[in-house]
Amino acid sequence: MKNKNKQTKFPVARIKRIMQKDEEVGKVAQATPVVISKALELFLAMIVDEASKVTIERGSKRVEAYHLKHAVETVDMLDFLKEIVEAVPDPSAGGTIDLEQEQADKEKKKRGKGKKAEGGEASTAPRKRRKKADKAKDEEDVEPEEEESVEAYSRRLHEEDDDYER
Amino acid sequence: MSDNEGHSAAPPSEEDLSLPKATVAKMIAELLPNGVTCAKDTRDLIIECCVEYIHLISSEANEICEQDAKKTIAPEHIISALKRLGFETFTAEVEDVLKDHKQQQKVSLLVKHMTCGLRLLQEREKKVSKLELSGLSEEELLRQQQELFAQSLAKYQSTQQ
Repeated sequence: MKNKNKQTKFPVARIKRIMQKDEEVGKVAQATPVVISKALELFLAMIVDEASKVTIERGSKRVEAYHLKHAVETVDMLDFLKEIVEAVPDPSAGGTIDLEQEQADKEKKKRGKGKKAEGGEASTAPRKRRKKADKAKDEEDVEPEEEESVEAYSRRLHEEDDDYER
Repeated sequence: MSDNEGHSAAPPSEEDLSLPKATVAKMIAELLPNGVTCAKDTRDLIIECCVEYIHLISSEANEICEQDAKKTIAPEHIISALKRLGFETFTAEVEDVLKDHKQQQKVSLLVKHMTCGLRLLQEREKKVSKLELSGLSEEELLRQQQELFAQSLAKYQSTQQ
């Protein structure tokens, strides 16, 4: 089971400053940003949950921007975010997926089994060393993960190890 | 108020006002199921969504506050805003947090008054021992101490009404 020891909280003073960026907002009681912090926590949990559902549905292991976009478009509660996600490109936009190109891409990805060995990927800019504050080690794919065909998906299931990174 | 910002020290300028990336990244990682990670640009997008959420709730709460003929946005206004905007499912936990916070405030206030009472007693003892070489009897000191505590408690209780 996932580690549910959630100690991390949103900074309350920062929340207050964000609130007061709106000129309409005047004085704010001391307890108010504390309460918003909790609501925000619940909101974050919801949005991450919805987005990751899309991720898993599509057979991916990484939550991409267009997974989030799809969640926003599907869930009523997230309606207010439609403008924010508008700019996110939808991979299946434009109609047909080039199956041959997709398979060629999958071949390239499979060659570099270890996550660090991305020699197959062309024009990958050297990654900057992250500050120790930013512990999330991300992989910067040059191509966004595309929707897989059923065969590509089942091929991947049989051949891919659990080479996810944390 | 203390800021749990971890490594970041300087507050951002007005325009860059956002939530700390490292904090949010950690929270996202804690929420995701095993085996799933979050792309960097998705995380940034999520942060934007969170900031937008704060604005959404605050704006609604501000209106409610005005309708309430108040000048300060109270937690109760936030709770009403959540209900109005379709986030009723959040209100139970949010109300719990509010209760805890109020309780903490009471305790802090009580401690403040008790400390105040003790300090007054210490000062009084100093003055008394300067004036009366023999000093007060134990009974008298005890009586004064009890009186001070009673005063503090009465003051505290009056703020609770």
